[in-house]
Amino acid sequence: MSRSRVLVVLIGAAGLAAALVAASQLGALDREAAPAVQATHSSLAGIPQRGLALGASGAPVTLVEYADLQCPYCAEWSARTLPVLVSDYVRTGKLRIVFRGLAFIGPDSDTALRTALAASSDGRLWDVVAGFYLRQGAENTGWVTDDLVDDVAAEAGLDGDRLRDARDEPWVTAELRDAQAAADAAGVRATPSFQLGRTGEPPELLQLRSLGPEGILPAIDALLRP
Amino acid sequence: MSERANRIASAALALVGVGITGYLLSVRASGATLSCTSGGCETVQSSSYSEMFGVPVAALGLGAYVVLLTAALAHGELARLGGAVVALAAFAFSAYLVVVQVFLIGALCDWCLASDAVTTGLAALALLRLRASPPPAAPERQLHAENAASRSASSSSSARAPRGRRANGSIRTRPSS
Repeated sequence: MSRSRVLVVLIGAAGLAAALVAASQLGALDREAAPAVQATHSSLAGIPQRGLALGASGAPVTLVEYADLQCPYCAEWSARTLPVLVSDYVRTGKLRIVFRGLAFIGPDSDTALRTALAASSDGRLWDVVAGFYLRQGAENTGWVTDDLVDDVAAEAGLDGDRLRDARDEPWVTAELRDAQAAADAAGVRATPSFQLGRTGEPPELLQLRSLGPEGILPAIDALLRP
Repeated sequence: MSERANRIASAALALVGVGITGYLLSVRASGATLSCTSGGCETVQSSSYSEMFGVPVAALGLGAYVVLLTAALAHGELARLGGAVVALAAFAFSAYLVVVQVFLIGALCDWCLASDAVTTGLAALALLRLRASPPPAAPERQLHAENAASRSASSSSSARAPRGRRANGSIRTRPSS
């Protein structure tokens, strides 16, 4: 192995690796600069919330979302697509979205979900869900702390102690079971998963090709066509 | 390790890499949940480091493994040098991604670590292949070889030709008259 060949290989590999590292760092900065879940959070202002549902009960189309609050793809969908749905479809009365929370990733999923469900009695489930997505930590590291719950609750205009007290109430546990049963019946295998249909009719499970708005808007538009 | 054994091992490892990155990409496309024992796969795969300007890192990895597979199957100096460059760069980038997982994301992804192990093996094999291969024959050596053959032919007729030196330092035989 001649010295010049080693030099050529080392210089080539070092240059390629340096370019990749630089692209990775710049790409990460680029993605972090993108509007995050905060956009979702503020976009909920003024939208009617009743229990698990977001939007007017008379909306012609209903979307059911199955999500785990520790699922990063759910957070990504919430950041990329939900704001578009809220501004263009829910706020205009065309769409109603129902949240069915699952807690299959682990204990933090269960704690966060129970907290969100507890907020549903105050019509603030979607605000609390957005707050958890905004602060989502590494899976099952105990990131759903009391302090974090206090922050999420305060942002939603609620009291953290009250939400914690309500987390173990029977109706919260019942909703957890109902959501899991509905997911099983619908054939949900991953999160986020969605069922879509005309309000009052049985919804169908969607096969999403993308977590961006382009993944779901065509199906909604198709149902809205006369 | 023989050149043939090295190439077979490299091709096998590259295929493993293709499988890992293909799985990561298919799960990403379908939105399904990754099979994961460490619990951090989803976190890593959805972090801001999982893409570079819209291109998933797994897709880059798949491209690199395909190049390394091609280099393993091909003969010649270009395959050896090109394979070594890509394998060493992949190894260095994998080391960087491990640092990112541990210190910046705070979670480990099984599939990423498996891919890192594969790139480490491929880099070691590429270096071994490079080391075991003979350096390409330089023009001067070729002429030496030709001279030796020529001298051998001349000596058989007991007429050793005098030698001259070119400006570039190579040696040639004087044309016999």
